[in-house]
Amino acid sequence: MTTLTFPLSRIEGHARVEIEVREGQVISTRFQAMEKRGFNLMVQGVPAEQMPVIVPRICGVCSTAHHVAAVKALEDAYGVEPPPLANQIRELLLLGQLIQNQATSLFVFTMPDRLGVQSIFHITDEEADTAAQFNIAKRALMVRQLGTDLITLAGGQFIHPVKAVVGGVSGGIDAEKADAFRKRLRAALPVACELVDYYWEISLHMKDRIGTWGDDQPAYYISSTERDNPRYNSSIIRVMTPAGECCREFTADAFRKELIFEETDYSYAGRTSYQGGVIRANSLARANMTRRMGIRRADAYMRRLRSEFGHPAHPILLFDLCRGIELVYAIELASQLLEDDYSHNEVDIPYTPRDGEGWGLVEAPRGPLIHHYVIEKGNIAMGEFIIPTVHNMLAIERALRVAAERYIHDDQVNLELEQAVGRVVRAFDPCIACATH
Amino acid sequence: MTLKQPPRFAVLQLSGCAGCEVSLLNASEWIDQFDLAFMPLVTSAYDVPEVDVLLISGGVRSDEDLHNLRQAVKRAKKIVAVGTCAISGGVANLGNRDEVRRLFMSQTERHDLPRLLPKSQPVDSFVEVDLFLPGCPPTPELFMGALLGPEDFVASKTVCQECGRKKLKDMKPAHLTGSRGGEVDPEICLINQGYLCVGSSTRGGCRALCTRPGHPCVGCRGPSDLLIEKDSQAWLESIQRVFAAMTDIPAEEIHEALLSPQLSLFLFQFSDYAGTGQPPRPKEKVL
Repeated sequence: MTTLTFPLSRIEGHARVEIEVREGQVISTRFQAMEKRGFNLMVQGVPAEQMPVIVPRICGVCSTAHHVAAVKALEDAYGVEPPPLANQIRELLLLGQLIQNQATSLFVFTMPDRLGVQSIFHITDEEADTAAQFNIAKRALMVRQLGTDLITLAGGQFIHPVKAVVGGVSGGIDAEKADAFRKRLRAALPVACELVDYYWEISLHMKDRIGTWGDDQPAYYISSTERDNPRYNSSIIRVMTPAGECCREFTADAFRKELIFEETDYSYAGRTSYQGGVIRANSLARANMTRRMGIRRADAYMRRLRSEFGHPAHPILLFDLCRGIELVYAIELASQLLEDDYSHNEVDIPYTPRDGEGWGLVEAPRGPLIHHYVIEKGNIAMGEFIIPTVHNMLAIERALRVAAERYIHDDQVNLELEQAVGRVVRAFDPCIACATH
Repeated sequence: MTLKQPPRFAVLQLSGCAGCEVSLLNASEWIDQFDLAFMPLVTSAYDVPEVDVLLISGGVRSDEDLHNLRQAVKRAKKIVAVGTCAISGGVANLGNRDEVRRLFMSQTERHDLPRLLPKSQPVDSFVEVDLFLPGCPPTPELFMGALLGPEDFVASKTVCQECGRKKLKDMKPAHLTGSRGGEVDPEICLINQGYLCVGSSTRGGCRALCTRPGHPCVGCRGPSDLLIEKDSQAWLESIQRVFAAMTDIPAEEIHEALLSPQLSLFLFQFSDYAGTGQPPRPKEKVL
């Protein structure tokens, strides 16, 4: 038996893929998380009210989602309902996270696969083949920085936000700053669309070259976004069948009843399944499970996706295209939301902490994220983090098997396999720091 | 005359959250001035090549971290430890508490994966570091400062000086507000409002990005130059003095709050607190 090992770069964290082959047959494909963070252990005994500041450190890419999920878990335990304005500011925070994450995944992680370069920082303007490649790294970073700047505006700090607090947020958004930022978003929207259009075009070229958008079978989808419009500050998790029917709805506390969670002995991350079936979370799940984006430019892209690929759509490289739709959506919507006034005072309500159990849910860029705390004497007695990447583990491994079988025949390994492994994993945009929290 | 080659730099990510890398991506000015030779988050590359500057983020948590660290430093002229985890273990220090280490050790062994070391360790427990860049994460401006030359970076001594909130003599809280303070006044010093803000002893350079929007400083930049070469007791006393002068909050209440996990995450630069047995980091080496 031969084991092929593929280290991975251009993903968040440390992971690798191992493919076992015997006599030309693919025996197994494994996606291994190589690091162990252990926040579920580290938060033991921590004062519960400090969780919103501590848990963003699970991951610097997904920190905002953890920040908001922690606050919501505590609010659930304390029986607190934040005022509408605070919820709207939290939605803005999560839109900032979405811009930052989708721009990073699209342009920094996966665009090099489509251009055949080592990184977007290695395309100099002299070497740019087309006008669209000119200054690409700078334009891409400018767009993704809108995300971190929106997190700063709505969340205080730029990587590990601080402004969501139990009962609301610690302050509104200054009207002048909101207005200035809205203008920046407006100005950047056409740049983002240009980049997304270009990304779509080079994805088509790549599909022509490799002959597939990803020929894995359909799967279940999981998301907590709303049925009619996207919403990231979410409350209900839904599951969709491979045929496109919504088959299950549940709140975060029913997670263990609804999904099967298991650990493996070859990875520091666990994995989940739905009634024994492979599930997919992340952008494609949301695109399949939301009727429309509800805003002009993003809906135009959504219509294009649906007319070219149908509904529900299953090929895995569409995850990347859907990230583009969400990037446009988040910039367009944030600029619209910032026309409202967030500077007035009704941003939080008083509360009394108490012991008990709480669940916090948000739709993170990678899918539904749940924080679950048991609080005793004001301290965390049990902290559990259910990470979206974990829902995708089986889907990643199944898609890797399809890729391996495509490129391994009679003990011959097509060199394209290494590229294919990278493309498959990056389509799911796994976050290893989170998955091993 | 030949054109000068831009300096080459690499980013080695050990066990951490990638927040430092995300911050570096916000400092896009380096694109024109530096050649990025290695940063697995954004480039396909598996080994650190010869570079002028090596930025190291994350703590040393596994045998693989240690191996990668030792290999990488051989190829770099200048070593910069970036962020709280690389300098102290950061949030991972929560896992170094005895009762939590027992939990870690009781976890099932995985085969064929990097083995966890008994504790998370800072980078300079194993290799010599030329510059420490604290912050959780350091801001893009601080990253550029470290890359372009720390000697030219201009900052106030403390976060407090960069914050600019008004300190009031006649507004003396009797107890800590905790996290249930309701709305934060945007103009007045957070200590006057009863928040446990440690910005008065935390090194400047972050431009007070947390305290200005109303969140008390948790000290992620570490102690100011006045305190950095001293032990953690000096830091505790300095904070106590500030609260004694500005509030009526009992000293015991402050003491207990200062030792809470949220703050002790960042007490790293005090080697006696981190338990590394290292001498204090000289202030000349800290940006």
